[in-house]
Amino acid sequence: MRTAAGVFLGGAASRLLPASIPFRFFGAAVAFHLLAWLALLAGADRFPRYSAGLGWPLAALHLVTLGVLVMTGIGASLQLLPVATRQPVPSTRWPATIWWLYTPGVAAIALGMGRGMPVLLGAGAVAVGLALLAYAVLLANNLRGARGMPGVVAHGWAALGCLLVVLATAASLAFAYLGAPLLDRAAALALHVAFAAYGFMGLLALGMSYILVPMFALSAAPGERQSIASCALVVTALALAALAAFGVAPQPLRVVAIAIGGVAVALHLRLMRHALRTGMRRELGRSFTLVRIGWAALVASLLAALAVVLDAPLAGASTLFGLALVGGWLLSFVLGILQRILPFLASMHAPRGAKRSPTPSSLSSDRPLALHFFCHLAALAGLALAVIVDSPPIATAAAGVGALGAAAFGGFFLILLHRMRGSGPLPWPRAKPIA
Amino acid sequence: MTAEPMPRRWRDADGEHIDVRGLAPPQPLVAILRLVREQGDAGAAVIVHHDRDPLLLYAELAEIGWVAERIGAEPGEVRLRLTREP
Repeated sequence: MRTAAGVFLGGAASRLLPASIPFRFFGAAVAFHLLAWLALLAGADRFPRYSAGLGWPLAALHLVTLGVLVMTGIGASLQLLPVATRQPVPSTRWPATIWWLYTPGVAAIALGMGRGMPVLLGAGAVAVGLALLAYAVLLANNLRGARGMPGVVAHGWAALGCLLVVLATAASLAFAYLGAPLLDRAAALALHVAFAAYGFMGLLALGMSYILVPMFALSAAPGERQSIASCALVVTALALAALAAFGVAPQPLRVVAIAIGGVAVALHLRLMRHALRTGMRRELGRSFTLVRIGWAALVASLLAALAVVLDAPLAGASTLFGLALVGGWLLSFVLGILQRILPFLASMHAPRGAKRSPTPSSLSSDRPLALHFFCHLAALAGLALAVIVDSPPIATAAAGVGALGAAAFGGFFLILLHRMRGSGPLPWPRAKPIA
Repeated sequence: MTAEPMPRRWRDADGEHIDVRGLAPPQPLVAILRLVREQGDAGAAVIVHHDRDPLLLYAELAEIGWVAERIGAEPGEVRLRLTREP
């Protein structure tokens, strides 16, 4: 049995989920990415001074966080964690069920937020909550039997703990709109933001980086002790932020939490820099430019958080903080990783008969990704400018550019699927071979 | 930054051997690709001794024009013969 690009995946296939599982999560993330920019376009007039409340800006935020970031996180962790922990996912039925519960739930939440329909929002929140609880069980089962990669596993457990806090606070916030809050709104909101962005999604991103970045750069695995120390610092920072949310010395504790978070990020970035510098593959292309921009935005988000905590005289500081954290850090990172990993997954799953199996670079397409790259950066810069000068027209233009970029990313995904299914070449220039 | 165990390497009549059993991801991938690159244009076959199917290796091999073939091995071992694509 002979293969190019893994025609033979005999036993490997047993640890590879069927293509329909990861690709349904990634496909939904790509669709929600476009919908998020369109929702922001609908709410652009409120965006520059948006602080809270139902409306399209809130819907856009959750289309990014739940629709793109968590959706991708679920798909990627289902595919990659079995490799890291050497524990297969026991059944494909669970992931499929999670997707069928989660995807319409996210759509209902976004529509409920955008149109100001609390009942729809509550129904969506129930579906998403159940789906994420099921995912938490899957993740816990996989981590419990993990062999090796203790740094990745520690991040997985910490992310799981944060997910439970996120679910509890999300339930409280969602049901507040139905007149039945479970927690004080300010405390729930502070916990929700910190534990969702820096906790659940942030820890998943940091933890997966210890697999993905060395894999792409072809470098040694980062030191386990340092990665566990970085994880422990993030958890400590989040614990302090939680105390502050409940009114325990809020300002001093938040400043200390940001400082500890800064040390954790510095440690993580040092490990990533080492992996990139020592890897066999030095040229990682546009996708890793996005990842690097994401890392810069992560640092910027901590500085913006400090400005918010210290009541810096900057109008729209909290919106800039959210933009740096969700748009700059998490979204840039996830889109950079997605465009790198999707061609590899597609290559593994591409149908093979007598034909030679396709290489990842032959499945990718460069022009849509180039368009997306410039639109993504222009849109983020435009949104930041809109906040600084309080300009709804600039926010509208930025959201339009972002939507164009998201559509281009969708084009990349559709071309990838088309090529993966062996339907023949499309009239797009293919990506350069991976160095 | 890391104190990973090193893969075992030796030369035999059938090619260059590398044993990456027990290494955590992505060390096997990195070590195998490093050995493949060392072989150059007129490279010998590379025989890989692995404890699991290397999921991500195949796509990387295809990008540099190499192919993998599964060959007989002891129980619990995955043994691959890597050669330059004809």
